[in-house]
Amino acid sequence: MVDVIDKAREEFLSEAQELIEALSRSVMALDELQNASSEDPALVNETFRIVHTLKGLSGIFSAKAIGTLSHQVEDVLDVLRLGKLQSSEEFIDVLLRVVELYWLLLANEKSGEEPPDLEPTLEQLRQFASRAGAERVESSSAQELDPTLLAVLTEYEEHRLRTCVERGFSLFKVRVCFRLETLDKELDAIKSVLTPLGEVITYLPTGEASSIDTIELDLLLASPSGAEDIEAAASTKSVRVVPVLLRSPRASQPERALERVAFTPPITVAPPPDQEQSPRRVRESELMTTGAIRSVSQTVRVDIRKLDTLMNSVGELAIVRGALGRVSERLRAEGKRQLATELQRLHRSFERRLGELQSGILEVRMVPLSQVFDRLTRVVRQISRDVGKQVRLVITGSDTEIDKLIVEELSDPLMHLVRNAIDHGIETAERRLALGKPEQGIIAINAFQKGNHVVLEIEDDGGGIDEQFLIQRAVHSGALGEGQATELSRGEVMNLVFLPGVSTREQVGDYSGRGVGMDVVKTNIAKLGGVIDLHSERNIGTKITVTLPITLAIVSALLVRCAGHTFALPLTSISEALSLDAANVRRINHREVYTLRGASLPLCRLEQLLELTTHSGHITPSGRRRFVVVATVGNRRLGLVTDELLGQEDIVIKSLGKSLRGVRGFSGATELGDQRVALVLDVAAVIEEVLHGGDAREPELRGTIDA
Amino acid sequence: MPELVHSDWRLSSRVLGKGLHEFLSFRLADESYVVELALVREISSPPALTKVPRAPVGVMGVCSVRGLLVTVFDLRYRLRVPLSPQSRTSRILLTSAGAEDELVGLFVDEVKHVIRLEGSEIEPPQSALGIEAPDYVIGVGRKQGDVFVVLNLVGLMS
Amino acid sequence: MRILIVDDSNATRTFSREALEVAGLDGLEVSEADSGLEALRLLPRGPYDLIITDINMTGVNGLELLSFIRSHELHHTTPVLLISTQQSERDQERGSQLGANGFLAKPFTRERLLEVVTELVRRGASRG
Repeated sequence: MVDVIDKAREEFLSEAQELIEALSRSVMALDELQNASSEDPALVNETFRIVHTLKGLSGIFSAKAIGTLSHQVEDVLDVLRLGKLQSSEEFIDVLLRVVELYWLLLANEKSGEEPPDLEPTLEQLRQFASRAGAERVESSSAQELDPTLLAVLTEYEEHRLRTCVERGFSLFKVRVCFRLETLDKELDAIKSVLTPLGEVITYLPTGEASSIDTIELDLLLASPSGAEDIEAAASTKSVRVVPVLLRSPRASQPERALERVAFTPPITVAPPPDQEQSPRRVRESELMTTGAIRSVSQTVRVDIRKLDTLMNSVGELAIVRGALGRVSERLRAEGKRQLATELQRLHRSFERRLGELQSGILEVRMVPLSQVFDRLTRVVRQISRDVGKQVRLVITGSDTEIDKLIVEELSDPLMHLVRNAIDHGIETAERRLALGKPEQGIIAINAFQKGNHVVLEIEDDGGGIDEQFLIQRAVHSGALGEGQATELSRGEVMNLVFLPGVSTREQVGDYSGRGVGMDVVKTNIAKLGGVIDLHSERNIGTKITVTLPITLAIVSALLVRCAGHTFALPLTSISEALSLDAANVRRINHREVYTLRGASLPLCRLEQLLELTTHSGHITPSGRRRFVVVATVGNRRLGLVTDELLGQEDIVIKSLGKSLRGVRGFSGATELGDQRVALVLDVAAVIEEVLHGGDAREPELRGTIDA
Repeated sequence: MPELVHSDWRLSSRVLGKGLHEFLSFRLADESYVVELALVREISSPPALTKVPRAPVGVMGVCSVRGLLVTVFDLRYRLRVPLSPQSRTSRILLTSAGAEDELVGLFVDEVKHVIRLEGSEIEPPQSALGIEAPDYVIGVGRKQGDVFVVLNLVGLMS
Repeated sequence: MRILIVDDSNATRTFSREALEVAGLDGLEVSEADSGLEALRLLPRGPYDLIITDINMTGVNGLELLSFIRSHELHHTTPVLLISTQQSERDQERGSQLGANGFLAKPFTRERLLEVVTELVRRGASRG
């Protein structure tokens, strides 16, 4: 029962996160506008809408703090959109703080800790609101709008409508007939044509011309352009554009009747016509709305664990594929060549499809890095202001995609690297001028894909790393012996920064000084299967390169020890682990079989299969207490005998190098806590090897059985 | 002293002709060897190595270098030099001379220093060693009384 | 009992769905639509014993959906519950005029939702 109720809450957290991200982007856009001293009512409305939605959502899920904050922000945004308040740098600052608070509150919802004190920010918001008079005033325009039209508009939509009318826009109904199956795509297409022309307020189903598989909609468009321009923009498909009459001088446009023809895909987007208004402003709103729409109609939110389950199924299919290959060989050996060839053809086809399926699933896990980068922009702005330096963040390649799990873990290390760059890398404006550099420092983040990896470059044009200082710190912290310093190459000196105790500064800055040093960043990157490198030159800058695998295989694994070796066994292939009772072991034809709850389980002693020796060089004699781990793949089972069970751990599987490709039985290796490496057993391959494929009733064990 | 003709010794793309070349010298048991410095990416103290069961002979194990999984080979095996236990001076040379430019580690007993040798200071193996020289030996170098075997790292790893 | 929930918030839909499922209503079948348009697509699959829809959705909003529902041959008398935000009396007025059978203001509790749903379904059933 508890599980059922938690699902809604999980979705709430996920939705809230998306909304806060959207809000963050909105605020950044508002900031840009404010800097350019221009306005965009649609953007303000969009921002209002996001906060309004957050408020509603938080109410249902009893997230009081978020609700309180949203309520106040809503009030202020309302005043802003009514034109009773002008945006300013201080105002944007408060909004940025609001976004930050939202993130904190969301985190608190997850952790259940005490929320931060909202009062100071609430007070600031109240002051902004009161400065302008926070009451919602009915628009002064006495435009009479068609009552039947108004009857189906929500209050919000009506407000939008009136605002557009006040700006001098005319109203049109753009009537289009859509095919139900491709409705989403067609709608998106027509919207992308119309949005540059003005604002699409709502869609009204006309109730006519709808057969089983079509539907007709009137898109209500407010636009400063004329009907002809709108028709021209929609030129590649047939729409009927009907002006909505208003009782005002502007509205005397004769109705234009177009032939209504059936809607024909495909759709091409016509370029927006010239308008009096600055095209940039409208494009901004286009960005906002198309972004929002996309998240509703074209994407599906997937629990990443479901993808893992799918991947497992694919793994099992891989075993079937192997078996298919063997059957075809047997057929050939028995002289049935034609059948064998046919089966082989099918086998190859199966292999291809399987590969496609595997890549397809991996692709689904991918998300663009922009998720992480968006937050960075906000952070850079704030920190640079707080420490009094001028810094500009330039990001390229933000649509490079990487596994969702990696993205979630990447946020912290990236944030830290960027903070470092601002705190310690970029010099103060005066110093920079003295050095002949431009006043504004630059941090450039570049992301791109390279083979099976994603490379992230974080480069700043600051002062670089002081080698001598590094060496001193390393010696001081005991990581480096005094005499060793001279032996180091330049590259090795740079890598000193990753040693614990070296990169924490004496003076604790607000952000970087919390004792989290570069060693932690390195560890976090390593945990993701990634690598970090650093190049620096005095007075020129520092470049940090992070290389990450595109996708991550995090699995839960059981760690076991056998003959002094530690192995990881992915839990998906294990059904149980138990103490070995020697009394239940029987020998049948040189094989060992274990009786488990009445059934026979073939045994495999790992140290024999893998030819393990302890350091002393002998195979461990049996006699001590041992364990059996029951490995199950498909419908085949094998009991793996090992010395110790070390417990469960979530691991990242990294592939072994090409030089080890011939080694059987391992799917890779993983780094356990203290940089020790444990090999990951390829359970399916081991079962294959031991049970020789297919027929579990005739198991054969490799190696000899010891006494 | 005859000049080295690199095509005989299946070198990496670098031409080892006249002129000065930088090498890194190291010790395996009692022998001194050198390899081209440019091929050595990094030198580190041997981290904890995990043995790989059923790996080919000469593979000492795998380890993690700043998150990257690296296979470590025992050069002493390849060169048939007697093994001695790890000591304070043991080192791993990281080089991308592995198959398909894979980054691999090479275990050595001690790293000495960087030396510069002229192409003319390297004697081709046949005349120096007097036997059918393995393709991983470029030649024998002499400098100030010391003798080094100049190794072809790429040839060694293939 | 077939109920259609229309709301562009995944979380809110799940919340409402769970509230209904937990109550153990007889023969409960819940369908979901994440937009007014999606709801339009699902309408032919009726009849439904109740349609619950949020008013404030982008695109086809709840009022427009209601208006369409009332003009649809299958759904002249299908009970419709409108979910509104607290301050919008005008939305409620309009909803009334268009033929909504009930209103629930956000935020609502599971219990309140259940109360209202049960009442509306009962009334709808008795109307035949």
